[in-house]
Amino acid sequence: MEPSFGALLNVLLLSLLLVTALLAVSSRDLLASVILFSAYSLLMALMWQRLQAPDLALTEAAVGAGITTVLFLVAIFRTRRREEE
Amino acid sequence: MKRLVSLLFIGALALLLLYVVSKMPPMGEPTNPTMTHVVPRYLEKSEGEAHARNVVTGVIINYRGFDTLGEVTVIYCALAAVLAVLGREKRGRIRDYVELSGIPSSVIVRTMVALVVPFIVLFSLYVILHGEMSPGGGFQGGAVIGASMIIFTTVFGLHLSSVKVPLKVRAALEGSAVITFFLVGIAGILGGGNFLAYAWPRVSQSLQPALVTWLTVLVEVGIGLGGAMVFVSILFAMVREEGADEPLA
Amino acid sequence: MNLWHNFHYAVAMVLFCVGLYAVIMRRNIIKKIIGINIMETSVFLFLISIGYRKGGVAPVHVEGLDPSRMVNPLPQSLILTGIVVAVSITALALSLAILLYRQFGTLDVNRLFREEEEEAG
Repeated sequence: MEPSFGALLNVLLLSLLLVTALLAVSSRDLLASVILFSAYSLLMALMWQRLQAPDLALTEAAVGAGITTVLFLVAIFRTRRREEE
Repeated sequence: MKRLVSLLFIGALALLLLYVVSKMPPMGEPTNPTMTHVVPRYLEKSEGEAHARNVVTGVIINYRGFDTLGEVTVIYCALAAVLAVLGREKRGRIRDYVELSGIPSSVIVRTMVALVVPFIVLFSLYVILHGEMSPGGGFQGGAVIGASMIIFTTVFGLHLSSVKVPLKVRAALEGSAVITFFLVGIAGILGGGNFLAYAWPRVSQSLQPALVTWLTVLVEVGIGLGGAMVFVSILFAMVREEGADEPLA
Repeated sequence: MNLWHNFHYAVAMVLFCVGLYAVIMRRNIIKKIIGINIMETSVFLFLISIGYRKGGVAPVHVEGLDPSRMVNPLPQSLILTGIVVAVSITALALSLAILLYRQFGTLDVNRLFREEEEEAG
């Protein structure tokens, strides 16, 4: 991988993916986790576009950041927001 | 103790996976094994065989159509399971369990959403119908319709969105992905070919390109509408309040 | 050491382990479902990266474009259906979680096991 602008962008996106995934898993507030997971999905959609998969980018942006997030939010509202000690 | 063992297991698995990955051929080389098997054929022949400029659509609908038929069935079964667990509203009686619209949204938000949602639906129809020429297709367009209904429900509440997409329409269209795909498959047999053959041998050679294109579009529309209605029904089932349905105003 | 060339693969593997950590170690069921989602997307990332080609373009035929420059369309089409199946599986898992909470009033697996023992005993 030559240190070109595209390669740097890929490294930045992948590092952000790792950070958001770790934060989503480690946060005790479920609402925060779900919002972080939504950010993770959006970054993943950008990554699909970088890997020349526009079909996947379109689907991931609608499904990951839209439908999945709202389904998680509804489930949290119907149960409880904090993780139990 | 149990936690320690689990952590050690995950750490060991990570090291093993990273070791295997470091032994793989470098990413992006044209000589990699994944690039040399069936892929050149898909890339070169899909325009002439599947009549799809978007090779991804050609592979989904045509080359691997049987696989996609299975996936569509899985999605439909997931919807059936969700409805079996959470139940479905009686006709015309529905109320939010979750006050997604509990905080009264401002005039700006309501106006903007009311303006934008029709255009999102229009765009998703474009995505579905243009699936064989540009990036897009049934699954993508269906997901976009589902997302637009989610915006609408979040702002205007479940009651109004269930008036816009009534139970009758959803119940009729949910299975359309499986039904269209299966009927097109059967039509392939009747046309003298195999199950899911798009270029029917009984049709003259000159008509076959148009036939393949139209059947592909038909399957895409079926998948798009079916997928969208499955997403909307799952959303409604999860937001709906149990046992406190109110009559439709 | 090939790890720098295969940076995408390595990140996908680490993401898989992060998701696995959530599934095994976190006690909250919704956390576990988020973990399963992270594992799914990491596998998708791995497969799409395998299908990438240096300087490749999206697999859509345009006038005057050489097909040998396109990236691999096969993983893309398989994963497209995979994403849609993943969201329906997530919906099913979440509705089962809602049902569990309605029944037992908790989403913590340890407490769920205790409740179950009490009901049985």
